[in-house]
Amino acid sequence: MSIETPAPTAAPPRRQARPSDLGSDGPSAGARTLNGVSHGLLVVWAVLVTVPLLWAVLTAFKSDREIFTSPWSLPTEWHFDNFVRAWTTANIGRYFINSTIVVCVAVVLVMLLGAMVAYVLARYEFPGRNAIYYTFVAGMTFPIFLALVPLFFVVQNVGMLGTYHGLILVYTAYALPFTVFFLTSFFRTLPGALVEAAMLDGCSHAGAFFRIMLPLARPGMISVGILNFLGLWNQFLLPLVLMPDDERYVLSQGLAVLAANQGYRSDWSALFAGLVIALLPVLAVYVAFQRRIQDGLAVGAVK
Amino acid sequence: MRYGKYRFIASFLAIPLLLYVVFVVSPYLQAVYISLTDWRGFSPNRNFIGLANYAELLGDGRFWRSMWHNAQLLVVVPIVTLGIALFLATMTTVAGRRGSAARGGVRGSRFYQVVFFFPHVVPLVIGGVLFGFFYNPEAGLLNGLLRLVGFDWLTRAWLGDTTFALPSVMAVLIWIYVGFYYVVFSAAMKSLPTDVFEAAVLDGAGGIRTFVSITLPMITDAIKTSYIYLGILMLDCFALLQVMLPDGGPDGSTEVVAQYLYRAAFTDGRFGYASAIGVALCLVTLLLAVVVLRSGRRDRVEF
Amino acid sequence: MTRPRPGLDRRQFLQRLAAAGLLAVPGAGVLSACATGGGGPTTAAQGDVSAKNPLGVAADAGLDVVIFKGGYGDEYALFHEELYKKAYPQAQVKHSATTQIAQEMQPRFVAGNPPDVLDNSGAQKIDYATLAAEGQCADLTPLLDAPTVDDPNVKIRDILLPGVLEQGTYGGKFVMLNYVYAAFPMWYSKPLFERNGWQPPTTLDEMMALCEQIKAAGISPWAYGGTNAADYVFDLSLGMSVKQGGPDVAKKIDNLEPGAWQQDVVVAGVQAIEEMVRKGYFMPGSEGLKHTEAQTAWVQGKAAFYVSGSWLENEMKGIAPPDFTMTAAPVPVLDSGSALPVTALRTQPTEAFIVPARAKNVNGGLEYLRLMMSKEGASKFAELTASVPSVRGADAGAGATPALQSVTAALDAAGSDVFSWQVNTWYVNFYKSVLQQQLGNLLAGRIDANTFISTVQSEADKLAGDKNVPKFQR
Repeated sequence: MSIETPAPTAAPPRRQARPSDLGSDGPSAGARTLNGVSHGLLVVWAVLVTVPLLWAVLTAFKSDREIFTSPWSLPTEWHFDNFVRAWTTANIGRYFINSTIVVCVAVVLVMLLGAMVAYVLARYEFPGRNAIYYTFVAGMTFPIFLALVPLFFVVQNVGMLGTYHGLILVYTAYALPFTVFFLTSFFRTLPGALVEAAMLDGCSHAGAFFRIMLPLARPGMISVGILNFLGLWNQFLLPLVLMPDDERYVLSQGLAVLAANQGYRSDWSALFAGLVIALLPVLAVYVAFQRRIQDGLAVGAVK
Repeated sequence: MRYGKYRFIASFLAIPLLLYVVFVVSPYLQAVYISLTDWRGFSPNRNFIGLANYAELLGDGRFWRSMWHNAQLLVVVPIVTLGIALFLATMTTVAGRRGSAARGGVRGSRFYQVVFFFPHVVPLVIGGVLFGFFYNPEAGLLNGLLRLVGFDWLTRAWLGDTTFALPSVMAVLIWIYVGFYYVVFSAAMKSLPTDVFEAAVLDGAGGIRTFVSITLPMITDAIKTSYIYLGILMLDCFALLQVMLPDGGPDGSTEVVAQYLYRAAFTDGRFGYASAIGVALCLVTLLLAVVVLRSGRRDRVEF
Repeated sequence: MTRPRPGLDRRQFLQRLAAAGLLAVPGAGVLSACATGGGGPTTAAQGDVSAKNPLGVAADAGLDVVIFKGGYGDEYALFHEELYKKAYPQAQVKHSATTQIAQEMQPRFVAGNPPDVLDNSGAQKIDYATLAAEGQCADLTPLLDAPTVDDPNVKIRDILLPGVLEQGTYGGKFVMLNYVYAAFPMWYSKPLFERNGWQPPTTLDEMMALCEQIKAAGISPWAYGGTNAADYVFDLSLGMSVKQGGPDVAKKIDNLEPGAWQQDVVVAGVQAIEEMVRKGYFMPGSEGLKHTEAQTAWVQGKAAFYVSGSWLENEMKGIAPPDFTMTAAPVPVLDSGSALPVTALRTQPTEAFIVPARAKNVNGGLEYLRLMMSKEGASKFAELTASVPSVRGADAGAGATPALQSVTAALDAAGSDVFSWQVNTWYVNFYKSVLQQQLGNLLAGRIDANTFISTVQSEADKLAGDKNVPKFQR
């Protein structure tokens, strides 16, 4: 069950091997069938995932009547005006910039601070370590809306109500539990031998963290960073109470107004158009960073 | 060395902890205090009533019923989600490489990496709207498909049926979260040393054998972490259910604790009681985290 | 609600918190504010009372208006704010529109910094009973006794439509002005009925016969949205009961009187629903639909009748076919010996406007409400929203839609024979988690009328004995 010292007795690596070499002497016919089946399942899941989303995109081009009367057909007429309406009525453009500022700064901040905490919790023994760890875990488990009113007064007291930096700090603080929780377990899986060697060479604790462990933790950092980005991008309750000024609304507030309106006057098409506008950049961010994950792995220091 | 270690720990923890205590811990502590009062939430009036809210909670059938629904979600959704995610991650990372040092995975694995994650990018509010349409008994895709393949007897009013409403919601949750854990597991699997797999292949181990005796044990930490995090989400589930079945589902068969809590706070004006529910929920979640983390735990802290 | 306060415990707790440095100072301000309690003299802006300024508005005091931006939008409010600015050019008027009323307003109420006018509506509204019980609403009586904008000899009180006073009165005080006059008829498509030679029924027997005909024509007689709006069907069931037995039937239910749900007419109304379920008069699958989805199926011609409030047309704008001609008819009576005439209609004023008790400009808030009820203000509302405001004399002009015309006609026909119930606003939780849920069970065929009645009655009795829920009487 141990993973900290990976297979010290393993056979010498055959790095020159290529997949094609192994194809001939490798899997049996049964395994190949299995491979075929599993590939089929991958395709099935991909279809399951994409169809509803494609549907959402198509829906964004339909008229309200069509959404309900023929929900599963192609739009008879492509209504680009839905996007115009979403853009103008929901102020998507301005909110988009607000969201970008707040979320990007908060993600950078939380990744740095979270990694520091997680590293210390994962690799050092000191009094109060478990208490701190579980305090962070507890932070993930408490329903935010119960703390909103006290939080409002805390933020008001430090004079940061309705400001970007106030929201950034609050976002950072509320993303910390998740970040610490995930990165702690990630840092635990990293081999310690490199750090030990570096420390023997006279590297400081902080130096070992910044120069060795942080680069090693890159895949985990990127995954958690993306998840934080998405989580904060869709965060709704915190800005609702802490950003009362609609000049500084974030995107999710704007979308929520659109969504909440659906119960009263249906403008589903604008809602879906707003969704697509909000979704595309997020997807782009993910796709872009997806590459970085692969690159991070290519560094290959983990081996 | 020792002195340097503690100074290092303190310097890494100070700023994040300060931020966390001010913006997260202190509002939550005030919420805990509120749970000991009869506060109604909209004026400064409140009386200290000790543990009366908690005493009431013990005998509150509706609370326990909601808790039971959360418990079902807690068991079913993580097992199925993590199972599928593990399977897909294995297919696209480990299985494909068949002992080679190349990290390609099956053909198109990059494509799957991107696509599987899509659902997680969709805000829950929108996901709820989307699947509301999906389950629509008349115009929805699900019944439409069933009719198409001649399975008319299977069609039903999914969200209006006491037996099927909760499983229908579970299916949506699984759809949303598989991609997230797929990314987590893929990152974990890719950080595993290649040598072991090569050795296993040399020893003639098959795909399933390799998975069970090598991959699985080596990513246990990632699985545990994921189980806890998904478990925490299942103990919440507020956003999606509030969109799909805002009134607790047919005969209250899908009401979860967070919805009950929300109702206690905002429609009953009983913030004190709602806070007590929140504290109880928080304790249950922490308990879950501790149990899972302690199970088969080995202390891996070094230095 | 008046438990003794063991202040010591709290103080100790606070000291400990403060010692730990965890308690932010304004939070402490909030907590210590509870030692002195709410209420207290207001420091609201005051102006001189005159004929032109009957409410004593301070001409230069700012006005902070928060509007629920739902089905009616907030355009009408911008117009009302213009009216205010015209009357008081020195005043700064701040307009905000939101759907998340409770969460956005909660900290402001706690901090004693509420807006001057709050449109407390929508799914995220602050529970009326809580606001009233907490003394957060200013008494609107001065407004009732003020003259109208249009005629100094007529008081505001005299132009309110029936039920508005009752609806806004909590604990003997008029604190909420419900600005929209919603009626709850059953709805049908006029062309569809004309094509088939159908007539809206006036008695239960007629309705059952018509349902049979409609069903034979291959259409479901009724639709409803089971996942979130099964309670709409109360307008049919309880509506028939109240029309049969008179307004006291509903009054007993609202007052949580013992046996209120076992009144013969109530049982008969519920049994009628059970019979309709048994005969398959409700569109199959309705139990799995949201109200918007059920309404859509209905405007697509898959069902003949639908019950809902008069906002229905506005809600279905852009989805109902242009020639649908949504038309209102009062629900039938159980039989011809009914206490109220067939034309009687359930009306309920909605869209609750309050002036918070601790607002900085209470008088300005009252004045704003007075301007809303001017002929100009109310007519503009009717025109913009195709809805009936709850004051006399409003005229939507040429903007009247078929549905609005038919509702207006139904209201005229009903005259003073309007009724309502308060159980849905006084006891929201009971209404949602007992009444609505059990009605959903009845409609889905999971329980019968007897079980419905006995469950609801026992839950109502439980509610009557629950000291945590503030009670109201009428």
